This record gives sequence, structure tokens and C-alpha cells, in this order.
Amino acid sequence: MIPAPPPILYAARAEWADIVPVEQYEKANPLAPILYSAEYKDATDYLRAVVKAGEQSARVLQLTEHVIRLNPAHYSAWQYRYETIVALQSPLDVELALMDELADKYLKTYQVWHHRRLLLTLQPTPAAAAAELVFVAKILREDEKNYHTWAHRQWVLAFFNDDALWAGELDFVDAMMNRDVRNNSVWHHRFFVVFHSGVREGEEDRERVVRRELIYVKQNLSLAPNNASAWNYLRGVLEHSRLPFATVAAFVTAYTVPHLADAADLVDVENPPPGPGAELPCAAAVEFLADVYEEAGGESTDKAVQLWKSLADEHDTIRKKYWEYRIREAMSK
Amino acid sequence: MESPFPNFARAGHAGHVNRCLSGLPGSQVEIDSSRHADFRFSLALGFYCIGALDLLGVLQAKTTETDRTSWRAWIWEQQTQGPHGTGFRPGPFATPDSSSPEPYTDHDGPHLVMTYTALLTLAILRDDFSQLDRAGLVKFVRACQQEDGRQDSNCCHVLMVNLSLSFSMLPKHGDTDLRTVYCAFCICDMLNDWSGVDVERAIKFIRTCRTYEGGYGQASFYEASGGPTYIALASLHLAPRANGVLPLTPEQRKKSIHWLIHNQDKCGGFRGRTEKPADACYSFWCGAALKILGAADLIDAELHASFLGSCQFKYGGIAKAPGENPDPYHTYLSIAALTMYPPNVPGEGSLSKSWDFETLDPLLNAREETVAWIREHVPAKIN
Repeated sequence: MIPAPPPILYAARAEWADIVPVEQYEKANPLAPILYSAEYKDATDYLRAVVKAGEQSARVLQLTEHVIRLNPAHYSAWQYRYETIVALQSPLDVELALMDELADKYLKTYQVWHHRRLLLTLQPTPAAAAAELVFVAKILREDEKNYHTWAHRQWVLAFFNDDALWAGELDFVDAMMNRDVRNNSVWHHRFFVVFHSGVREGEEDRERVVRRELIYVKQNLSLAPNNASAWNYLRGVLEHSRLPFATVAAFVTAYTVPHLADAADLVDVENPPPGPGAELPCAAAVEFLADVYEEAGGESTDKAVQLWKSLADEHDTIRKKYWEYRIREAMSK
Repeated sequence: MESPFPNFARAGHAGHVNRCLSGLPGSQVEIDSSRHADFRFSLALGFYCIGALDLLGVLQAKTTETDRTSWRAWIWEQQTQGPHGTGFRPGPFATPDSSSPEPYTDHDGPHLVMTYTALLTLAILRDDFSQLDRAGLVKFVRACQQEDGRQDSNCCHVLMVNLSLSFSMLPKHGDTDLRTVYCAFCICDMLNDWSGVDVERAIKFIRTCRTYEGGYGQASFYEASGGPTYIALASLHLAPRANGVLPLTPEQRKKSIHWLIHNQDKCGGFRGRTEKPADACYSFWCGAALKILGAADLIDAELHASFLGSCQFKYGGIAKAPGENPDPYHTYLSIAALTMYPPNVPGEGSLSKSWDFETLDPLLNAREETVAWIREHVPAKIN
């Protein structure tokens, strides 16, 4: 590969000759000084100058883009770019197209998402929102657990709050889930869509929705029982709906013991049995069942204690001290 | 059987952060783009380096008085005054060179997170805080708290309204999330002056960040993660409250402990989110959260320390996972975690001694001695 030629500094460009660069103020011996490259130093000297002069022009857009490419976390450059776009009434589709490239490149940087959010707020059309969800889905296929990207998706859905946008969301969750059932961001997103975004048409019967979610998570667990995300979801759905954990005791019990010989013959959508390859007993199921017994109280507490002991000594020894604490707490009630 | 404990290379780690203090080449800045923001800002990087030396108990021995004096002077140069009160900038990157200090503008103003970082770093450097503009700081914190948002009956807009309950990084704009609440609360706690914030409104925001898993997300309805969970719990415990009022209900506390304790991976380290791999920084975020909840005795401290031991880089510094490159952020947070979870290493020799640490205040994230210094020198004079 031929190395790229060194960039021509702004200081050497005729079209910037009217600007007097402003150097960074640095008097005392700086803490953890960062040795900037000549290119970065030059570009930021000119950025300080245009900010100081209040210039908002096409070349400021080029300059801020340059600084952002050198340091995508430079929040002042982002902010000034945004103000310049607003002042110039610069075409937003051009800016969004540039952002598609930058978001892809620097997708772990908060500022790229914040800037997109500001742009979408300037032009809140249903078409822009739909296009945004398509873009976000593309990024999530590259980086399936990216925190900012998931948050951005939730923001788009909530900000536009358009039934047409929400309508495809559970299908999107399924598609992402099929890629990785242990992706907690997907489980979290499902919880957000089902329980925290209002009641959508067709979802008014909340009992039915809860039953659907319970079947969904149980089926998932039957395919991959040792999945903490799914167990947390199961707990979350029950607690959110104020249902006792005992509601799913029959389902959970099958996961707390070694494989049953006749398990394959059971066909029960409400209680799908663990798949043939599952590693049993499953510690999360043992823990869940102990919670069911603790909830019941009285004589059942003994059964909970036995299960916690089995976790402490056998199934989940790393949390031995925690299980012993649970035993102490339950016994002192 | 081989001992699971390597030597904890104190001198090597001190050397790593010391090298960073004296100058990072530009290329090294981008080691971890997810924390890019922190690394470009000298002040945040400086805090991790100086903090690590302090936790190792070698700040005096490994730096000179001249250095410490000039660092204090540099941090004070970042204190800036203007229409929204007084605070600290992350560094002079947006500041034009000028002989006399001018009031800041909207483009080079102070930053809430950096203001907290500056105060803490100054305390570690045992500054006398004679230059502190206490009233200006209170005003700045107040300017960062968002105006009360419009209540909307459409529940989807709750997400938008919630953001308006929090603080922004900069007055009137910038990021708004749990980090800013924590920094604002720490500043109020250090000043012992809460008149600049509407505590109830901020706590309402924190509660909207709690998730069904028992942890907290960075803003309302975000996925639970270790960092925000620490920050939420520390904030709830820092906030002044009436007698008899608990920061969490007993059920919430139980559920948070459950989630945090399950974040300890088989390898001994902590993960930040369910089903993610362990990362050394979550030893602090999850570990300190458990400590705040009074559940520090429930984790397997030996397995935990052996994971951090395996994250040590052979030439000094601690990385997020074995085999990765070290950086001051992971080095500081790993040592901070070990101060709360010192392993029981058998023997009296130098190996066991290498795992001996100073004690840490989990709420402010500083050595207890440093916090005592803050209590003595920072509080606002209430007339």
C-alpha cells in the first residue's frame, strides 16, 4: 500500500490565509500531557480561531469534520459543527449520509449518536425515523451489544412514537435473538418494547401479553437453559406483572434435576422441557426454585435451604458465601 | 499446587502510570476508542494516574514536590468563571491563549464531570483549596440541572421528560445521564452544600434508570450495566435524606445484590452486563456497588484477586483482560477494587505483602485519608 501523503496544514493553505490560528493555552506543566500530532495541533488551532471569530461557513464544516475524524470525542467540534449546520441551513440528508459513515467508524463514541439525535430532531419526519431504524439495525448487526446504538434505537422509537415504527419491533427482536440468544441487550430491548413503551393496538389484553412473554422465555430456556439473560427476563416479567414465582414452578422444576427419561414425550407449550443436549441441573433453575420455596415460607423454607446448600457446595460454588448468606437470611425470618 | 497468586507488581504499576503522567504519545491515546473521551482529556487521565499512585501509597515517593506543585497549578488553570458560575474544564484544548483570564463562552466552558475530577485530584495532591470559588461552584451545579420537563400523558415521552430531570455535562447542553448526577452529588457532598440541586428531582431520575434486572442503566430505560449501577447506588447513598428513609427498599437492595453477585464470572472477574465476559474495570464498579450495599463479604475475594493478578501486563499496568494492553483507567480501577477486596494470601513474605492495600471510601472513590482531607479543607462556609 502506498502511504498517504502528509496532509497539507491549514497554515500552508491559501484559502485559510485570512485566519490567524489560535494556539492552545498552556502555561503550567500539564498533567498527563498528550503529545498531539502536527496535523491535529494545526487543525485545532484553526478551530479555536474560527470559534473565537464566530465564523459559520462551508469551510468551518470541512474543518470540524477534519477535527472530528482526528478525534471523534472532541465535543466542542461537534457542538460547533451542529450550530454551523443550523445557521447555514445546511442540507440534513447530506449531513446524515456523512454521519452514516462516521457512526460506522466510531460507533463506540457517544458524540456520533448525540449528533444524529440532534439532526433527527431538526427534521422529525416519519420517513427519517424509518430510515434511522434501518441504519441502526445495520450497525447492530456489526456490533450486537453496542450500548449507545441500542439506546439510540430506543430513543428513536420513543421520540417519534409512531405505531408504524413500533409494529416491526418484536420481529426485529426475534431476528437479533436468532443471532445470539445470550445477547442481554436484545432481552432488555424486548422488555422495553413490551412493558415500557405503552400499550399498542392488539396488545390491550395484558394477561394475554404476559402469557405470550412467559411462553417466549420458556421456549428460549428449553433451547438454552444456562442463559442468565433469559432467567432474568423471566423474573422481570413475573415481578412486573406481580405474579408469584410459583406461577412457573412446574416449568422450572424439570431443569433442577437430571434429564427425565420420558421428557421427550411431553408436549406442553406452557412447560417446554429442557432440550436433549442441555447441561442439567441448571444452577439458575435451582436458584429459582429455591426462591419459589422461600416465597411460600413455613415448612418450604427447609426445601429452599437444601437447594441453596446444593448451590453452595456443588452447582455454583463461586457464590458459596452468597448462598450461605441467603440461608442465614431465610432462617432468621 | 501452584499458588493462584502471582506477585502483585506494585512497582511495575506505579511505573506504568508514571510514564503516562509524563506524556502519552498521540498514537497511544486511541488504545480504547470506547473511552476515547476520557483519554483525550488530560484531567481524567491524570486522575487515574495520580489516584493509582495514591492507592499504592507511593505518590510522595514516586513524584517530586515540584511536579505536584505544577500539577496543582495546572488544574487551577482549568478553573474558569463565567455567566453560569465556576467550574473546571477538561483541559485547555478549547481555550485560546491569553494573558488575562476572560469569562468563558459557550464553547470553552466548564464541564461537570471534570469539575468533580479536578476537586478529587486536588485533594489527592493535598491542595489547600484556598483558590476554590465555592459560591461559584454551587451556581455552576445549579446551572447544569435541567429545567423541569413538560409532563406528557403519552407514556412514550416519559423517556424525554426523564432526561430533563437530570444534569447536563455543560450548562444547558451536553450529555445528560447518571454520570452527571453522580458528579453533581459528589461536588455537593464535598462542599457540604446541597443548595444548588433539587435532590428530589434528581433522585426521581435515578429511579427511572433502574431496570428489571436489579441494576441501573446510564439513562432511563437503558440496559443495566455495572458503571451506572455503581453511580446510581453511590448517588442514592450520598444524597441527604430524612431520618429513617432508606436509599433503597429492602426488596430493591436484595435484587441489586442478586444481580451484582451474579456478575462475578467463573474466572473470578466481574462482567458489566449479563452474559458478557469479565473486564477488570467492573471489579470496581460492581465491587464498590456491593460494598455500598453492605454486601462486601459475599464475594469470593481470592478468585477475584487471582483474575486481576492475571490481567497484569508484564511491563507494568493492568489490562481489562489477560493478554490485553494496560492503561491507567484499568490500572486505577483494579487497584481500587483490591483495596475493598484484599485477598487472603497465606504467608508473611513479600508475596503476601504485595497484596496489602490502603482503605478506600466507596462513595467518593478515594482513599479514606484523601476524603478526610476533603472534609477538612473543601466545605463551603455556611453563614
